[in-house]
Amino acid sequence: MRNVQDAAAETARDHRILSRMLADADALCQCGDALLQGQYRHLRGRIAALLDITIPAGDAETAA
Amino acid sequence: MNATAQQFDSETANPFVDSARLARLATLSRAELEELQLRKLRRQLARLNKTSSYYRARLAQGGIDPDKLKSLDEFRARFPLSNKADFLADQTEHPPFGARLGVAREDVALVNMTGGTSGLGQEIYGRSQHDVHMQGYYHALPWFLAGLRPGDIAINCVPSGGLTTGGWGPGEGLRIIGATAFHVGGTLSTDAKIDLMQRIGAVHFIYASTNYLHTLTEALLRRGLEPKRAFPMLRTLFIAAEGYPLEWAERIETLWGCRLQEGYGSTQCAGFGASTCADGVFGAKGGRGLMHLFEWETLFEVVHPETLQPVASGETGEMVVTNLSIEGSPVIRFRTGDAARFISWQDANSGRAWNAIECGTIGRFDDMLKIRGNNVWPSAIDAAVFSFGEVAEYAGRVYTSGDGKTEIEVRVAFTDAAAAFDHATKTNLIERIRTTIKERTNVWMSLNVCSRNELPEFNYKARRWKDERQQGYRL
Repeated sequence: MRNVQDAAAETARDHRILSRMLADADALCQCGDALLQGQYRHLRGRIAALLDITIPAGDAETAA
Repeated sequence: MNATAQQFDSETANPFVDSARLARLATLSRAELEELQLRKLRRQLARLNKTSSYYRARLAQGGIDPDKLKSLDEFRARFPLSNKADFLADQTEHPPFGARLGVAREDVALVNMTGGTSGLGQEIYGRSQHDVHMQGYYHALPWFLAGLRPGDIAINCVPSGGLTTGGWGPGEGLRIIGATAFHVGGTLSTDAKIDLMQRIGAVHFIYASTNYLHTLTEALLRRGLEPKRAFPMLRTLFIAAEGYPLEWAERIETLWGCRLQEGYGSTQCAGFGASTCADGVFGAKGGRGLMHLFEWETLFEVVHPETLQPVASGETGEMVVTNLSIEGSPVIRFRTGDAARFISWQDANSGRAWNAIECGTIGRFDDMLKIRGNNVWPSAIDAAVFSFGEVAEYAGRVYTSGDGKTEIEVRVAFTDAAAAFDHATKTNLIERIRTTIKERTNVWMSLNVCSRNELPEFNYKARRWKDERQQGYRL
């Protein structure tokens, strides 16, 4: 099994990347193009779900 | 027959090696797991306090401030339960989704409804884009744990589309894992499915209801095909929705040459809430295995249906569900009516701090039949009847005879091989089946033999029992 600290750091990194992506997706959702807006909202939903799925768990990850 | 776990050549890859995330979740202490649950619960309740008047009222009724919630025990002690009748009333008052919808109506991207088989009405769930992914994840997660990997060929035998969670979650789950999926449920006959699977050849994963796997296996054998020779690459058979006897599970594993895995899921869980992971349906020492609860995604309580107190490890109770990650139409302390045998994480002895429920014995409290003073579950009769490999299918009915007595008739169709037995052998077999039913239910039932084509073929969940007594006789 991989080192717990390395795994925690990787999860925390993924979570930070996804947080930045969510902010960008929120900005995209403000576009005025109705055809694209629905698709941007679909993408935003996926990113938000992945943020939930990768939420830091346990002391090592919340500290990282 | 003493059914036990078997070893297979195609053993499942270790999900805790292939996913660091899952490895981390597996090594959480119970305290860390409960801290995570409480953190997510506070976030969920705070959000619903703003977005749902139904849940805002329930928070007020319990005197709960989400930001100040100190413990899961406090939540369980104070937050009121909901049940189907509450949700239906809410939907009637605030159509179509009820005031429990936690997102704007325009943000509902997918609608799921329960099956309506109770006859009481259908709950309606509005899923946001976020929830659609989560629903997929709640299918991908147990299947990944069971050995499904990107690039695998997967056969989904559960009907797709429509208004049920089961119609959409599998497709989403297989897509986000990266499997190559054939959604054959509801569109092809069983024979056509077999033809397609043979054309494909390298099938790695099959998902079906318990009953449909039985139907598929029967059909393969009728065609003279041994499943494990026809599909030698198969690594996982994954079933859900119905119980089964261990003798049946052992026969299935022997015929298919791979491990049987099981999941517990529902519309209220937005997919699967528990599964056997990679362990299979048998316990390490034989007997029934465990479905491990995905408690970092969903809070589960298993309570006595009358006292509403938590049952002890080893006891059967009603599943009460709280979504931690669903935003559209989440359930918070919802009484599902599902009956499950609870096994604490300490007794599960899996090396993980995840509570569990027993495989193969999930039932419904509202399916229960009251017969001559006995509480009888159709799943118990299924277990008795299908412990005999000679049985292909059966159906039952409870009715009131002309002289006012409760009578129970079970019609059994034998396999082709058993149908050819001589009269004395069949008579003996019928009597053994009757006795086994009596041992498991405390009720003597009359048994009649019929041909297979007199009984229905079930594509998803089997509804084998009819209660034809007057309403006043029912529980």
